Amino acid sequence: MIDIKKVVVLGANGTMGAGSGEVFAAGGCEVVFLARSADKAAEGVATAQNMAKSARVADRISVGSYDADLERVCAEADLIFEALAEDLALKKTFFERVDKVRRPESIVATVSSGLSIAAMAEGRSETFKRNFLGMHLFNPPHVIVGTEVIPHTGTDPALVAASVRLLEERFGRVAIVCDDRPAFAGNRVGFKVLNEVAALAETHGPAFVDYLIGPYTGRAMPPLATIDLVGWDVHKAIVDNVYANTRDEAHAQFKMPKFMDNLIGQGHLGNKTPAKGGFFRRVKDGKQTTLFALDPATGHYVESRAHPVQPIPFVEEIRALHRVGRYREAMRVFATASGAEADLARRVVFGYVSYALNRVGDDEVVRQPRDVDLIMGFGFNWAPPTVLVDIVGVAEIRKAIEKYGLPLPKVLAAAKPGEPMFREKFVNVGRFFSA
Amino acid sequence: MATPIYVLGGYQTDFGRNWNKENKHIVAMMREAVEGGLAATGIEAREIETGHVGNFAAELYAMQGHLGAFLVDTDPALSGLPTARHEAACASGSIAILAASAEIEAGRYDLAMVVGVEQMKTVDPARGGDFLGTAAWYEREAKGVEFPFPKLFGKLGDEYDKRFGLKDEHLARISAVNYSNAKRNPLAQTRSWYMTEDHAMSTDKFNTVIGGRIKISDCSQVTDGAASLFLASEKAAAAYARKRSIKLDRLPRLLGWGHRTAPIEFSTKVAESKDNPYVLPHTRQAIVDAFRRAGVRDVWGVQGIETHDCFTTSEYMAIDHFGLTRPGESWRAVEEGVIEIGGKMPINPSGGLIGCGHPVGATGTRQVLDAYKQVTGQAGDYQVDGARRFACLNIGGSGTTSCVFVVGYEG
Repeated sequence: MIDIKKVVVLGANGTMGAGSGEVFAAGGCEVVFLARSADKAAEGVATAQNMAKSARVADRISVGSYDADLERVCAEADLIFEALAEDLALKKTFFERVDKVRRPESIVATVSSGLSIAAMAEGRSETFKRNFLGMHLFNPPHVIVGTEVIPHTGTDPALVAASVRLLEERFGRVAIVCDDRPAFAGNRVGFKVLNEVAALAETHGPAFVDYLIGPYTGRAMPPLATIDLVGWDVHKAIVDNVYANTRDEAHAQFKMPKFMDNLIGQGHLGNKTPAKGGFFRRVKDGKQTTLFALDPATGHYVESRAHPVQPIPFVEEIRALHRVGRYREAMRVFATASGAEADLARRVVFGYVSYALNRVGDDEVVRQPRDVDLIMGFGFNWAPPTVLVDIVGVAEIRKAIEKYGLPLPKVLAAAKPGEPMFREKFVNVGRFFSA
Repeated sequence: MATPIYVLGGYQTDFGRNWNKENKHIVAMMREAVEGGLAATGIEAREIETGHVGNFAAELYAMQGHLGAFLVDTDPALSGLPTARHEAACASGSIAILAASAEIEAGRYDLAMVVGVEQMKTVDPARGGDFLGTAAWYEREAKGVEFPFPKLFGKLGDEYDKRFGLKDEHLARISAVNYSNAKRNPLAQTRSWYMTEDHAMSTDKFNTVIGGRIKISDCSQVTDGAASLFLASEKAAAAYARKRSIKLDRLPRLLGWGHRTAPIEFSTKVAESKDNPYVLPHTRQAIVDAFRRAGVRDVWGVQGIETHDCFTTSEYMAIDHFGLTRPGESWRAVEEGVIEIGGKMPINPSGGLIGCGHPVGATGTRQVLDAYKQVTGQAGDYQVDGARRFACLNIGGSGTTSCVFVVGYEG
């Protein structure tokens, strides 16, 4: 087991920096928060206190600035954790500085949500390369425990295994190992679905698709509400990166919708720009909040109450079954419902299963279905793909995948009907199916 | 116990879940507990002969009574099953176990299913706190009082302080140990929450005083959850073991039980015990009864305890009432690390009510399920090495209804 006592967080005033720093401090480490100024770093400490719901978490955190403190504190650190903006050049500049002063055995990790780990390591010393990897925590880290460990080809394999153990045993994470591919595992699979639904919003409207691909399909939050929460700028950065750097079977689905690009240009970034909004906009008038939904065709917002989504019988039937815990029957209704809406929903949901399990293999993003299951379950709060396979049935889902012209993943082709694929005995799968 | 009652296992829902956010009815929680229990044990629904539900206040939290009937609704094969719901505040789950085991002892049935259940996140904390007040004498102790139970268990601490002296440091340590244990339990409510002794000792906007000496860090949380448990007669257990090609003596048993009820009003209890070495003598007696029935000489005859720490003061009380120390000296066991995993007598390796969570009507059932996991080596990362016998203490009200079980193997 590697021992981590001193941690330096670069970019500690951002949500991921402060949140990850809170995880390390809560795990008993001595943590230094660095930002452009010590005052900015102190803002990160306040964020960490709010996340921990404790002022005392700050007892283990000190603050400093890049200019005054970086070299000194990085020279003493066991782990240097980079949480700067998603800008490769910026990260490389900092890694160059870190490399000059770090101890040869110290670990350097990046929380990047999808940039190339190898590219970040390029040009660095041999000991840096050996001890450098991605540690992708999800936002907000104090709540979402799913974590990806991403080595590049030069990372010491022993460090990879030790990091997983460290994250799980000391920091309470659910950690998986994945390859250094654009967006890694969770975001690669998750944003494929999110972007596909975003594109559907152009034709069908955001309220309708968020209802159709809603929580009842096995997710804690509807897809477009998720994009609004994440921020359209972050969404764009992730899908553009995957679109530019991969050529898999879902390549076209990573193309950023044009209407979103246009609206980003006008300052629509989702919840972080409340006055402009994203797919949805909430207008507060005193205690009253009115919800508006985007009309992608015009870029205008229409009041949701005035244009309610018409309930779809099969969706309502499934929600009623979920409400009383009859998940298997509910998803059988999902698998067999007729009509264009059912086909639309199934294409997305079974497309998710197909795409996620196709990322499993020797030349893929993860080695075993368990990895993609855990990261979707604990990073996204979505039903893990094999949970959907188990609940719908191997034969039925194979048939559906064929019907929608989706590639049949090898692990699904090899699966034996009647034998559960999801085997995490301490996970209540019912939690993934909201009514 | 004269007639052996075997424990075949069961299932716990993830106490970190918010079922209201999932838009679920309370029957969904029961169904998951039943289906999960059947899957975990390999028992078929049609084999169950009687069903008992432990629940405190579904009428208030979920606007629903008659939960015994809902148990039948969880599986078509259960249609016609005789069922009943039992209520004894936070001891409801234990009372359901007592009822089920009494039926088996009486020879009425051979295989019983117990489900403890509570859905509590349906209302805001203040309203929920008022509902909990009905576990005390509502008119005298709770009406118009904000969060009555922290105040009542604060008074338990005050009584210890008056008789023996009590330091907040020891309560803070109890809280920190429970949170720390919960981090090992993947079904615990607080498994990713932050807690240290320093935080538990602090008083500020993040750790406000709820009542008297009780702060947020001293409290168990509002929890949604259910747990199922299967109990069997020797005949049913033998068939169960045969089917799985295991020896009957590999199945643990309810070795002993204790059940005592004190006057409901806290001040009456305290007045009654003023000349007794134990602050809650009826709780002590329930423990003694269970040990006697189990043939266990004293607490050192078990290897661990799941106790009722609705507040840190109730665990502090349990330490000397179980006999880990002389009355009033619970602090010794806290200071010496006796109660920690790896200590001489681990208490609440699951995280207990403070860490694992406290869905009121499910707690007693969850405790016995955890004891079963411990003695069968299935507790995962919170396993107590070499556990053969575990004790459980479940308390309803302000030390009012005390239920104790000893789970494990003879000899």
